[in-house]
Amino acid sequence: MAWSAEQIESVASSAAAVTAAHPVATPSRWRDLGADERVLWGSFHGSGTEPYDTAVDHIGVGFRCTCPSRRVPCKHALALLIMWSREQVPPGVPVGETDRWAQRRAERASHHGDDEHDGHEPDATPATTDVDDDPPGRDDPPPVPDRDAARNERVEKMMEGLTELDRWLDDRIRTGLADPALARYSTWDDLAARLVDAQAGSLANRIRRLAGLVGATPTWHDDVLAELGLLHLLSQAGRRLGTLPAPLADAVATTVGWHVRRADVLAGVPDTDRWVVAGRSDHREDRIEVRRHWLRGERSGRWALVLSFAAYQQSLDDSLVVGTAIHADLHRYPGPALRALVGTRHAEPAATIFREEADAGLPIGQPPGQTIEDASAEVGRMLVAEPWLDRVPTSVTAAVVHRRDHRTAGDTWSIGDHTGSLPILDRRGPTEAAPRGASSDVDPVTMLLALSGGRPVDLTIEWTPHGIVPLAVHLDGRTIDIGPRADSSFVGAA
Amino acid sequence: MTVDELWSELVTTSLLGTDRRDPPALDGLIGELVADSVRPNPSARMLTAVGACVAVRRAGVQPAAPADPLSPPAADERPECVPAASDRWRHLTSSWPVLEDEWMITLISRGWRLAPELVPAALRRHRRDRVRRARVFVAAGPLAAWLVDHVPELAANASGGSLTPTAREQLGELPELPIPPELTVLLDRSGAEIGGFIAVGVEDGSLAHAHRGVLVNVIARCAPDGLADIADVLGAVDSRSSGHALASVLADLATTRRRMLDELGRPDAAHAASASVTGR
Repeated sequence: MAWSAEQIESVASSAAAVTAAHPVATPSRWRDLGADERVLWGSFHGSGTEPYDTAVDHIGVGFRCTCPSRRVPCKHALALLIMWSREQVPPGVPVGETDRWAQRRAERASHHGDDEHDGHEPDATPATTDVDDDPPGRDDPPPVPDRDAARNERVEKMMEGLTELDRWLDDRIRTGLADPALARYSTWDDLAARLVDAQAGSLANRIRRLAGLVGATPTWHDDVLAELGLLHLLSQAGRRLGTLPAPLADAVATTVGWHVRRADVLAGVPDTDRWVVAGRSDHREDRIEVRRHWLRGERSGRWALVLSFAAYQQSLDDSLVVGTAIHADLHRYPGPALRALVGTRHAEPAATIFREEADAGLPIGQPPGQTIEDASAEVGRMLVAEPWLDRVPTSVTAAVVHRRDHRTAGDTWSIGDHTGSLPILDRRGPTEAAPRGASSDVDPVTMLLALSGGRPVDLTIEWTPHGIVPLAVHLDGRTIDIGPRADSSFVGAA
Repeated sequence: MTVDELWSELVTTSLLGTDRRDPPALDGLIGELVADSVRPNPSARMLTAVGACVAVRRAGVQPAAPADPLSPPAADERPECVPAASDRWRHLTSSWPVLEDEWMITLISRGWRLAPELVPAALRRHRRDRVRRARVFVAAGPLAAWLVDHVPELAANASGGSLTPTAREQLGELPELPIPPELTVLLDRSGAEIGGFIAVGVEDGSLAHAHRGVLVNVIARCAPDGLADIADVLGAVDSRSSGHALASVLADLATTRRRMLDELGRPDAAHAASASVTGR
């Protein structure tokens, strides 16, 4: 039996939501409309290139829609109910994802009885989520078929998020970077929120960082356009994962935000080496402090990235000390990833081998010095594999130099040698937080000047599109960690 | 058209948007890449071109032209203080600043050079105090002036400028600390006696937290050879005593000062021969 107008209003988040739904409740704007004894469904064709697939469980009261709205139920779901109440929805048999969704809800209803209603207060969950997408740990793990279904749904949501991202990118390119909309937080925040809903959290972070670039420097258009291009590459690649070579597909999936379980990574083939802890950098991303430890295999010469995260008053990983080396198994994430987890440690950290010992023929314990040109080539090789990387490590033997920046018409500090120079990122700039915390309250250029006296020194640096970040200075017999450090008032003691 | 020229064109178009300006004509590899794709509208073609161009530019990251190196500061032959001493300075400046003057004077007088990683922080810490700033300049050698030349933020403020003759005389002297006469007599006693006096006082309540400041000054200025005994005696104060916390703090001060002086022991003979600080 179709719902009454009062019943529809009772599930709407506001009267305005019902009002907004009425223009949408026009059968000519819908395709594949249908209703059975449990579910209503249909595809709404709006202004976008992709239709919104909408379904309503009128028995268990649940809603599903691929539109970007975070309101539950959205206007499309309400419109389905309105058309049904007007007897404008023909009877039918659900197919595809609607059928699977309906079956899952029916099964869940039979297991939980009336509990189903409790978890579905309006506005309690994002638009395309239902009981299958509760955060892990809230309930017992679902049975395997449910896990597969949940995985399929996550993939579907991610694809929808990527489609939405590309639509948004297209809007930016059509209307131009001079569009005043770029100065409004909502332009970025709304998309970031939708990407989070679509399980593409990494892309959401990129969008938030991108928002911080707008208007921040005289050349911000350049920086924003480059990032839009990379987001386009990722969204296109992410929507074609099945056609990509496996390593690239893995890299794209993890970059977009596909979660890889820690246990799965640790189950992979280890990369065993004597790993020099070459550098460290801390950066705040939204409300999380992220610590990057850059390790370099002495035998393989390969770089690896070990991440740790800390929310407010949580501790970052202090077990890796810059300037020491560990003999350990590293387990890399899928694809040509730099990111890895430290597995078995075969020995405790050993002091970095001093230069005198290196001269005696023993393996060195710091990244090898190389020219600026060779370091740039090393960075380029890593970016060929993953052009969207925004931080890449390398090592170099170089001096601090002062040069005129023709783009900004200001003086900048760089590191350089006879083969070239690379600008040092201005940490007062838009993409780097100022150094925080007591031990790193001297900016890196000053530390580099003090430690080198203007002479060439061995350095570990982090390349970013906006300039390099000096992380460590390797002196005779010791290493000084000068990387950006987390705010000690934010992270707790280890 | 080079990739950089193409990028410049793309940036210009992106400012106006493809609704108002057509994307640039593409040639070369990027042109082939975009033409090879199914792109129904100018904005999609433009996005593809931007993505391809960014990937190519990043993969081919090129350094800028070489720049002239800086003229380094004059050489300083003194040995650099040991890492433990550097760590100690960081600890002192955060926990026991009363010992910092002695640390710096001892470092200079024993022929060490201030570790370079400490120089920026020391210069910044003493921008206002002429005497302490002058000590940093002596301890750091030519590097300090060179660094200030290149980093104006490290320059002295109005009150931290040039030294007066009086201030110059104070360079090698420890500043006097306020110690009441009844405690001043302790300075001539042995470590065991000083420690015993304080231990008894904190246990019977005659010395309490209100006396912390002057007791700190006593331990900061007593003869160094008694520091180990002071730490031992104060460390043995009954943990159930109300004065235990104060005794522990003072024991830590005594230990810290003793270790500080140990770490700044004279460099070996080879280094000591070339270490002449006072004339700099």
